[in-house]
Amino acid sequence: MAVTGGKGGTGKTTVAVNLAAGLSAKGLKVMLVDTDVDGPCCATLLGVKLENGDAVKTFKPKINEKRCVGCKKCVDVCHEHALVGLQGKTPRLFEELCSGCKACQLVCEYGAVEEGWKTIGKIYTAETNGLRLVTGELEPTEPRSPVMARATVLRAMSELQNSGYDAAIVDTAPGVHNAVAQPLWVSDFALAVTEPTPLGAHDLKFILDLARELELPAEIVLNKADVPGGLKDELLSISRERGVGIAAEIPLDGELLRSYISGEPLVKNSPNSPAAKALLSLIQHVHKRVKGGET
Amino acid sequence: MKEIVVASGKGGTGKTTVASSLAVYLAKKGVRVFTADADVDAPDLLLALGGGRTLFSIDIKESEKARIDKSKCTACGKCAEVCPFGAIVAQNGGRPVVVELMCEGCGVCRLVCPSDAIEVKRTDTGTLSVQETKYGFGCVTGKLKLGEHNSGNLVASVRNIGRGKAQDAASDVCIVDAAPGIGCPVIASITGADYVIAVTEPTPAAKRNLERLSKVIEHFGVPAGVVINMSGYSKDFETALKDWIVHELGFQFLGEIPVDYEVVKALVQMKPIIELNPDTKASKALAAIAQKVGEIL
Repeated sequence: MAVTGGKGGTGKTTVAVNLAAGLSAKGLKVMLVDTDVDGPCCATLLGVKLENGDAVKTFKPKINEKRCVGCKKCVDVCHEHALVGLQGKTPRLFEELCSGCKACQLVCEYGAVEEGWKTIGKIYTAETNGLRLVTGELEPTEPRSPVMARATVLRAMSELQNSGYDAAIVDTAPGVHNAVAQPLWVSDFALAVTEPTPLGAHDLKFILDLARELELPAEIVLNKADVPGGLKDELLSISRERGVGIAAEIPLDGELLRSYISGEPLVKNSPNSPAAKALLSLIQHVHKRVKGGET
Repeated sequence: MKEIVVASGKGGTGKTTVASSLAVYLAKKGVRVFTADADVDAPDLLLALGGGRTLFSIDIKESEKARIDKSKCTACGKCAEVCPFGAIVAQNGGRPVVVELMCEGCGVCRLVCPSDAIEVKRTDTGTLSVQETKYGFGCVTGKLKLGEHNSGNLVASVRNIGRGKAQDAASDVCIVDAAPGIGCPVIASITGADYVIAVTEPTPAAKRNLERLSKVIEHFGVPAGVVINMSGYSKDFETALKDWIVHELGFQFLGEIPVDYEVVKALVQMKPIIELNPDTKASKALAAIAQKVGEIL
């Protein structure tokens, strides 16, 4: 199940972390997957320290100068213009542009393009209170978030296979770009977390469009629902127009902020607060879905 | 002309609120302002500025996708084997299908196809439009096609057109509202800019993402300052955060904006808070920050 939302800062990670902790407390075997590889926050919200990540490596060409005849075929085929060079010269690699597609290696007739590797990020795993956490982290200055998000999804899926998990909760990045589409593509269901502002409403429409394009059933989580002067009605009318249900309405709650800072999920930290009650009923709602096999 | 980028490692910290108020404040002080929305996934700057009148709009076709010609395909499966992005799926020896969402258009499939059945075609990356806001300054906005890869290319187009239009209008400054995160669109926004305003909030999650963003800013050698938004609920944390920003990150501290529900009202009315209610505490803080940025410029 993906937790997404379009706009940043609407509460995706808060919902994902509480959902995972809550389902786990109900006795389900749960994996929480953080695919917001630009700004992963699940570990911070769970108070988990991440150590000893596995490097995610992508191919980069290593040009063997002795073998290279300067035919320039690799330069011409490079879709990202990462290889630059003149006829008769050994090409130069602009590493930050290379997508790792290996087209250069395929066209080289002289075996001059050898395998090189670069690390674009790390995948960390941890166990906390019976909950399995898999987090992808893009290396700062590396641009390829979609590749990193995909690697994180693949890693989670390989762990999920035949290991008896009841549910995987997948936290996504903000936006509707490819690094968000990748985890949505493999999900069975999505929760779109939004907030009652014109920006929240605007971006919610985009993420619901993307979910529809991917034929992914979705429901809306209305966070900060009662913010003074907010536009709750507009979100309710988007829900009606699209035929997308409201899975939960979470009120503003000072306790939520305190739990956010302390690194413990609200539903554990302060289960009687107004936001925790809303989250607990969302957990119940999702639990039914999982148990009913609807997802 | 100076280019100032408003960025943030974490989403929802208030980039658009800062960018819109900064633009209106500077414009009222007589600075010739231009704006660019480089958050091509969720372009909200125009919403915060109350919309605009469209001057022109174009489709950007920088993306490429593989297409398989069914009449030539022999279902040998070589393309699916070599695709580095898992974008070609061939089920049970059947004819391979391109999953557009995954395809980056690298063309490796075309290189290995023995029957010349694959073409790599240009497709839409997104759209780009230039608008005139009611404050008199222009705003260039990009919108990425749903699920697309090429956000960096679109951001580069937004910045190029923004720079050109800003120079045509003899602007002193172009304020760029960046995407959240640290990936391709953010790198494309920051490289070669004159100054980065990093917006954060006083939480451990936001701090961690500010640290990640700071590495990108440093790598590209752009001077930067930090704004702490939504402050006031954890004084100890905020004091330590300020100290860390100045002494550990080595960035300027531009100021803090207290939690203020007038900001929500401003968003709902689609007016920068500084315009809707200049006397509220958030507006006063934003004015002080904008003045500081004006001095830096």
